Amino acid sequence: MSLDYVKFSNGFERFMPKEYRDMVEHGPFGKKVSVSQMGSFKEILEEHPMCAGCAMTLFIRLAMIAVPNPEDTIMVGTAGCGRLAISQAAIPFVYGNYGDQNGVASGLSRGLRLRFGDKPKDVVVMAGDGGTADIGFQQVLHSWFRKERFTTIMLDNEVYGNTGGQESGMTSRGAVLKMAPLGKKFEKMDMLQMAKVAGCAYVATVVPNNPRRVESVIKKAVLIAREVGSTYIQAYTSCNIEYAIPTDKVMEDAKNVENDRYQFTEYVSEEAKQYLAERYGYKEFLPKPAAPAGAIPNKA
Amino acid sequence: MYLVADINVEICAAKSCKLCTQYCPEANTIQYSEEMGKDKGFKYGSAYVAVDRCKGCAQCVWVCDNMAKNNAIKMIMIDQLPLAAITDNITYGDKSTTAVLVSPSV
Ligand SMILES: Cc1ncc(C[n+]2csc(CCOP(=O)(O)OP(=O)(O)O)c2C)c(N)n1
Ligand code: SF4
Ligand code: SF4
Ligand code: SF4
Repeated sequence: MSLDYVKFSNGFERFMPKEYRDMVEHGPFGKKVSVSQMGSFKEILEEHPMCAGCAMTLFIRLAMIAVPNPEDTIMVGTAGCGRLAISQAAIPFVYGNYGDQNGVASGLSRGLRLRFGDKPKDVVVMAGDGGTADIGFQQVLHSWFRKERFTTIMLDNEVYGNTGGQESGMTSRGAVLKMAPLGKKFEKMDMLQMAKVAGCAYVATVVPNNPRRVESVIKKAVLIAREVGSTYIQAYTSCNIEYAIPTDKVMEDAKNVENDRYQFTEYVSEEAKQYLAERYGYKEFLPKPAAPAGAIPNKA
Repeated sequence: MYLVADINVEICAAKSCKLCTQYCPEANTIQYSEEMGKDKGFKYGSAYVAVDRCKGCAQCVWVCDNMAKNNAIKMIMIDQLPLAAITDNITYGDKSTTAVLVSPSV
């Protein structure tokens, strides 16, 4: 079984680095861990070169904890800041050329189904707003129209962070950036609406200042993508470098942006609701029982 | 020299909300020990920082001050920590010894 890859080979135990030892002895594989236990198990994510205080880093950290079966998950990324961390984890990582990630994930997800049949292998794409809404736009939309069964997560820092501050389709109108000095002239793209039009079974927005919600949204998205269809999460993950946010104010900024343009929204298709309720016991999606006749107040 | 986060065990253990463990952007950096503070009579444990992984962003300070309202975390110059906290490779496996290493020598 796939858990076999996180164990010591005979005779090698004492030569393994401490991080690996911690992963074998205290890692989350094969157990159910949650964000409320953070700090008391070895995380899948390791050290990486993303900037100090970056909210995208926090989101990726939470995402690695939230995936329902890390031992049966493959992450797909592309150029941009996020891959610097996503690649430094004990979850296999596939690097799609810039903008190709949803095409790569489509092939991967289909191939895994051919090879492993009904046994779930989860494919999760995490890419920047430039990679998802600009350069990869065509492949993203087509994968949704084809109802490819994997999860797409947009790490929306509203800028091309990795290349020094160009505007993206997801930058808000009027935002002034290093390489958009006159301010962006067009509106932020409505990718949420596009995801719904393209037939995604689950569409949600989150901010990293609500770790439990990040966890619950990612779990649902990954489970639905196993059988029902494409799922899309759009996460606000500020770039404190390009937006000049002092690192100790990153969570304050996330709260302000949440109130401004990133309120929590969640769309779940009827088919996905039924699947979550029946297969995974999500009680909130069970059909409401009809009120007993006596409960209806008689106004007559 | 550079700044790292330092958690005052006595202030933290009085509240012990674990919020900072969920908000530090770096993995395996703010750890939580059920045992820390017990020797001082506190009922719950305390959070502590694996300083070799801390990037000094001070987000945890904001979280403890503003969300937990407990002011248990301060940024300090790394050379103000006991030497063992810097030289020893502190990660999850060393939790029991870390309690002594990471808390500042007052
Ligand atoms: C085909 C191709 N074109 C351009 C680049 C250069 N490039 C690397 S990262 C990046 C921008 C990333 O922006 P975004 O996707 O928003 O992610 P962020 O870095 O903001 O997380 C670009 C243009 C590349 N690597 N490959
Ligand atoms: S450039 Fe911005 S998005 Fe990229 S790691 Fe740094 S703070 Fe994060
Ligand atoms: S937020 Fe403050 S009180 Fe809560 S666990 Fe962290 S240090 Fe302790
Ligand atoms: S200063 Fe930043 S990196 Fe260091 S422990 Fe606090 S939140 Fe984590």
